[in-house]
Amino acid sequence: MTQPLAALRSEETLALSTPAVAVEDLWFAYREGKWILQGVNLQIPAGGFWAIMGPSGAGKTTLMRILAGLLPFPRGQVDLLGHPLQGKPDPALRRMIGYIPQQLGLVRGLTALENVLLGSLARHPGWRTALGFFPRAEIERAIALLELLDLADRADEKVFRLSGGERQRVAIARTLMQDPQLILADEFVSDLDLPRAAQVLAFVHRLARERGLTVILNLHELQLVQEFADHVVILKAGQVVFESPALDLTWPLFREIMEGKR
Amino acid sequence: MSAKRLAVHGTLRGMEGRRWRELGFSLGLVALLAWLLNGMGFFEAGRLMQGGVNLVRFAQEMFPPDVRILPTIAGALVETLQMAFAGTLLGFLLSFPLGVLGSRALFPAGVVAVVRFLVAALRTVPSLLWAVLMVIVVGLGPLAGTLALAFYTVGYLAKLYAELFEAIDPEILEAMRGVGAKRRHLIRFVLWPESANAILSQLLFMLEYNVRASTVLGLVGAGGIGFYMQAYLGTMAYSRLTTVLLAVLLLVIGMDALSAWIRRRYLLQP
Repeated sequence: MTQPLAALRSEETLALSTPAVAVEDLWFAYREGKWILQGVNLQIPAGGFWAIMGPSGAGKTTLMRILAGLLPFPRGQVDLLGHPLQGKPDPALRRMIGYIPQQLGLVRGLTALENVLLGSLARHPGWRTALGFFPRAEIERAIALLELLDLADRADEKVFRLSGGERQRVAIARTLMQDPQLILADEFVSDLDLPRAAQVLAFVHRLARERGLTVILNLHELQLVQEFADHVVILKAGQVVFESPALDLTWPLFREIMEGKR
Repeated sequence: MSAKRLAVHGTLRGMEGRRWRELGFSLGLVALLAWLLNGMGFFEAGRLMQGGVNLVRFAQEMFPPDVRILPTIAGALVETLQMAFAGTLLGFLLSFPLGVLGSRALFPAGVVAVVRFLVAALRTVPSLLWAVLMVIVVGLGPLAGTLALAFYTVGYLAKLYAELFEAIDPEILEAMRGVGAKRRHLIRFVLWPESANAILSQLLFMLEYNVRASTVLGLVGAGGIGFYMQAYLGTMAYSRLTTVLLAVLLLVIGMDALSAWIRRRYLLQP
């Protein structure tokens, strides 16, 4: 992983003064009356590395999907990278948001390289790519990303043959291929053991710092949050119940919050 | 009796009740079968005895097979195979897009409903009736048989494919939409590769089925070996009919072996 990261990045990052994500009084329900999110407020600065924690069913995945522009919301205001999110985001905004779902959303029957190339579809939405012909420059860029992630020798391997850790890295490479300014990752290391998860997060953390990316992660492990995140938010029953610098969230405090004692 | 023991007692009573209902249902099914068979004359001993005698006489006339007709039927056998392959592939080419259009994962409910109705209508007609219809439309010969098999194939494969596409992990589709993929990309990069195994598997199953089906299409003049079956049955040339049946058996076994080889060779092993 020695290649200079800046060489792979083509766009300017968001000015650090603009919040990357601004959420105001966000409400959401899958079924009428059953609110999953209840008035969520968040201000995430550009370049931040934020973790969202909370028990299962707290609304973390729903919040991620809304921020990724995949779920329309009935109430509230969401601004992403200085643009208001209303209905489906326009392609230009979508391109700037990299989303890694919990199960990674990789196409198992395609190779690692093909999966990474899919990250360039927003730049090449035409029929040429639909027939499987990607511009040479994009292929070279995808290969460079795989090299960066130590996956060059696995480029032609079908994803279903890759290990869990390798798949995580393919998903990261696909997201980077998009050239995003904001990365949303929904518990994407939850299937890995702690040392492996730490390794993946260390890499994402370094990338984010070098490229000035904003990263929002749903995480379960406090240890990982303390090690990598600079800020943490805890969601419970669709509401933000705690927000602080990650290092301020100690284990006893975390347990108290999760047990509802605070 | 404590509340806990009462609850256990209630559970046991519930289980016993279910067992009796299951037993009653099974006995009811047996009685229904007996009634149906009786209505068809299954329990008429004299008729069954006569059937056995007829079977023995028929078998005596069938053997030994008359292999002198092999050169005559060879061309018809090849034609049968050609019909099966062409019909299956033509049907597949139509089934894939119809399967995509019939999948709620990609298209609105209105489009899906229309496509599914059309496909269901195609499926209602058996392949032999399709052959009759096609003989009326395009005349006697293998073209009618090929078209009949193609229509029949579409009726089944399009439905199976639509269901396959709907079973694709929505998270993958969501992730792809997240990177800006259009519908055409989803078809090419998600639907196709994620379902490739099942698509090929069902295509091979259809091919095996069509090889068997194509052997009888000649009965209605739609080409292939069926023409000779009908001719030898009509003239009571049973030893020749045996040769035809054995040739068809070999053809079907050969097709199954080829299909098994393709599955082993090309299907992905996850």
